[in-house]
Amino acid sequence: MPADPNSLAQKLSFLVGGEYVLTGSAAARFAVDEVEPALAVRPGSQQEVGSVAAACSAAGASMLPWTDGALIGLGNPPSRLDVVVCLDRLTRIVEFDDANLNVSVEAGVRLDALQAVLGAKQEFLPLDPAQSDQVTVGGLVQTNASGPSRQLYGSLRDWVLGLRVVLPGGERIRCGGKVIKNVSGYDMNKIFIGNLGTLGIVTEATFKLLPAPAMRATVVGVFARLSEVGAVVGRTLESFLLPEALEALDPQALATLGPALGLDGAPGYGLAVSMAGSRETVERQVRDFAALFGEGKALKVETLGAERADVAWRAIRNVQAKLPMGRVIAKIAVPIGKTLDLLSAAEGLMRRHEWRGAITAGAGSGIVRAGIEVGAGSALEPLREALLSLRREAETLDGSLVLEVAPLSLKRSLDTWGKVREGFSVMRRLKAELDPRALLTPGRFLGGI
Amino acid sequence: MKASCLAEDLRQVVGKDNVLDSGVNLALYGYDAYLEERRPDAVAFVHSTDEVVGVVKACNKWGAPFVARGGGTNLSGGTVPVKGGVVIEMIRMNKVLEVDRANLRARVQPGMFNLEFGSALAPLGYQYLPDPASQKAATLGGNVAENSGGPHCFKYGVTTNHVLGMTVVLPDGEVARLGGKAPDSPGYDLTGVFVGSEGTLGICTEIVAKIVRLPEGVKTLLAIYDSIEEGSETVSAIVAAGMIPATLEMMDQLVIEAVEASIKCGFPLDCATVLIIEVDGLKDDLEQQVQAITDICKKHGAREVRVAKNDAERAALWAGRRGAFGAVARITPSYLVCDGSVPRTELPKILRKVAEVGKKYDLRIPNVFHAGDGNLHPLILFDWRDAEQKARVMKAGMEILELCVQVGGTISGEHGVGIEKMDAMRLCFTEEDIEAQMKVKRAFDPKDLSNPGKIFPVAQEVAHAS
Repeated sequence: MPADPNSLAQKLSFLVGGEYVLTGSAAARFAVDEVEPALAVRPGSQQEVGSVAAACSAAGASMLPWTDGALIGLGNPPSRLDVVVCLDRLTRIVEFDDANLNVSVEAGVRLDALQAVLGAKQEFLPLDPAQSDQVTVGGLVQTNASGPSRQLYGSLRDWVLGLRVVLPGGERIRCGGKVIKNVSGYDMNKIFIGNLGTLGIVTEATFKLLPAPAMRATVVGVFARLSEVGAVVGRTLESFLLPEALEALDPQALATLGPALGLDGAPGYGLAVSMAGSRETVERQVRDFAALFGEGKALKVETLGAERADVAWRAIRNVQAKLPMGRVIAKIAVPIGKTLDLLSAAEGLMRRHEWRGAITAGAGSGIVRAGIEVGAGSALEPLREALLSLRREAETLDGSLVLEVAPLSLKRSLDTWGKVREGFSVMRRLKAELDPRALLTPGRFLGGI
Repeated sequence: MKASCLAEDLRQVVGKDNVLDSGVNLALYGYDAYLEERRPDAVAFVHSTDEVVGVVKACNKWGAPFVARGGGTNLSGGTVPVKGGVVIEMIRMNKVLEVDRANLRARVQPGMFNLEFGSALAPLGYQYLPDPASQKAATLGGNVAENSGGPHCFKYGVTTNHVLGMTVVLPDGEVARLGGKAPDSPGYDLTGVFVGSEGTLGICTEIVAKIVRLPEGVKTLLAIYDSIEEGSETVSAIVAAGMIPATLEMMDQLVIEAVEASIKCGFPLDCATVLIIEVDGLKDDLEQQVQAITDICKKHGAREVRVAKNDAERAALWAGRRGAFGAVARITPSYLVCDGSVPRTELPKILRKVAEVGKKYDLRIPNVFHAGDGNLHPLILFDWRDAEQKARVMKAGMEILELCVQVGGTISGEHGVGIEKMDAMRLCFTEEDIEAQMKVKRAFDPKDLSNPGKIFPVAQEVAHAS
């Protein structure tokens, strides 16, 4: 750190109170990829985040916003880390305007806690990432996390109406607003969704909401072959049906999830379909999918009511995160029609190397998530080669492979994000304009940003 | 810069028949559906991404600004070449390049009309959801530039939710493919910020659009009210009942009169307002939805609710709504379209206030708008030949925008800031907010050549320390 950490710690203590400025081993708990910050600071308000950023900036100290531990694995090892700005005290629900279907919340609010508040008014935010009990609103926005229900609802870019952001110099800006149609100036929300804390620190988000559906149900099935799953998916995507989620599971994921899905003991590939809406449309879709599964030679089919379905989907979303520590979680994104090809490629590699893990694939959204256990002392080179070959396959299809979680030893030899894209010159200039001294989360993002 | 040298370079790029640089031709490309005009130095008709690159490079060479233009339907002056330079006419890049059903995406050129694209997809059983009312004459590239909405965006979102990639020519002539058919491209979401940037960050030459199946069923209702208040209260009541109809559109009596005089759609002439409500999706619950909505409308004072019995009746209702702006031209020489956006529950209040503004400035202000979205379009009628009246209109328009911001809304829902609302940006943004947006502009366009003089308010004078 260019300036004296003690004097910065004093300054920060003055701004947020001494008990909220951590040093030494207390700060080291906020290590990112084993890089320990000199200081960690826990501002108590959005205004304090601004003052903290201004002070760090004046001292030439680099900052990294810490939203929640669940998502901190995403990104290359930081090239520099002086101060962790922990947002865990920003826990206000600023405004829940249920009549207008929107809510404004601070970055430290956990997603499940938010959903509980919204649910009390029969509304919900249609985002369902893994570990929703730990993930915070800030983490969600900084990482652009998503889950199986993006099949029907899309991703964060479709639900963020407004953001409040602290820029590296401490300026507090507002992007968007709370109305559902808004073209006043640039759509600044978009550059901050998934910016990983490299352009600004998101301190508050305003989301568009949906009325809670009258009914939910899930149909799950086991198939002997992936091609049979593919046939059911193909017919679904060509039909009028509107499933909320359409998730394919590899045999290992199915084996792990069997009890939660009520499919214990049947080996093969899994397909889970969630329906949400009025009783009439849900019941009709349950019938249609049961028929589709049957015609598609499913070995076993189960229908789960709302409560069992909730447990099942929580288990599906968290199946990779529940793997033992030392795991790799890769998110592969490809055009929708290629999703199961990538699931197949990932599964083939895992089978060949006899790796344990779990693969899930949003068959109508193009996202494959592969979790692989990495035992202590196991050779990393074959894993690196396997991930590179999957990345090549995805990039050939204009897609990507991003490491959401990986051991540091692997991260040192395998970039989190893959190749830089066309338009990268603009991304670099954007970073230079908004963070000219590269103080915000340096080194973790695409292309060394 | 010598305009003649620039035009010569343009001829080298696109051929001599595709450049206009004189007289009335320039005047024709100097205005859009807003109220201002300026002449460009030249107009270039382009047919490919390569030609756009050539034109943009020629502009860079001469330091000339450029603005891309499609159908010229912009309502905020976005295509008016306020600093001269070159109008790049995109209208001939109008082909569907690919309909990729397996990946639920289509690649399409920006000069195609929105409705034409829809007509190309419908026989295949698919649709592209954003449907601005001007879809007959507005191009997809223009929709991208403005992040256009349309009646169906209450349920389905606006252009940005359906454009997931594009090829752009950056302001220095570099070509970049942003986003694409695969989701979540690593890096910043440049596609997302480009959509709605009003042509100020470069030129879109190809669009990767999300396509979806046409719905299994559609039902369209017309609810008729004797009081505008009851109509706007119904809108919030429907949403409070947990329903998200595909559309919730509203027109008031003056607009209905104009529409009926121009196209006979069967709207009653003696009512205060009508709501056009459409529900779509799986057919199983559409009847129930229609019944529930009918009950809510009646409970909130609708004197009659009609359900379209067939496609012809449905088409007539929509012809009326989509023809509204055009029809109003029958009752006035010109009008200013306001485009404020407010939280839906504030609609009854804001409509009362708009009426008060009309009285205060002695102006007639009919309303036609996307009620479900809270996006209102008061049309302030006037005669452009009367300068004093025009001045009053501008004041009234600004006052309506201020009212929208005061109730938690914003200055533009879908028509863009353009030149019309540059000063109004300060109503909803601080200097820091605006400066952050200007940083985005500089990152894309450091030389300020792409549609300059738009969106951003003129810098406030810095007080000198004495």
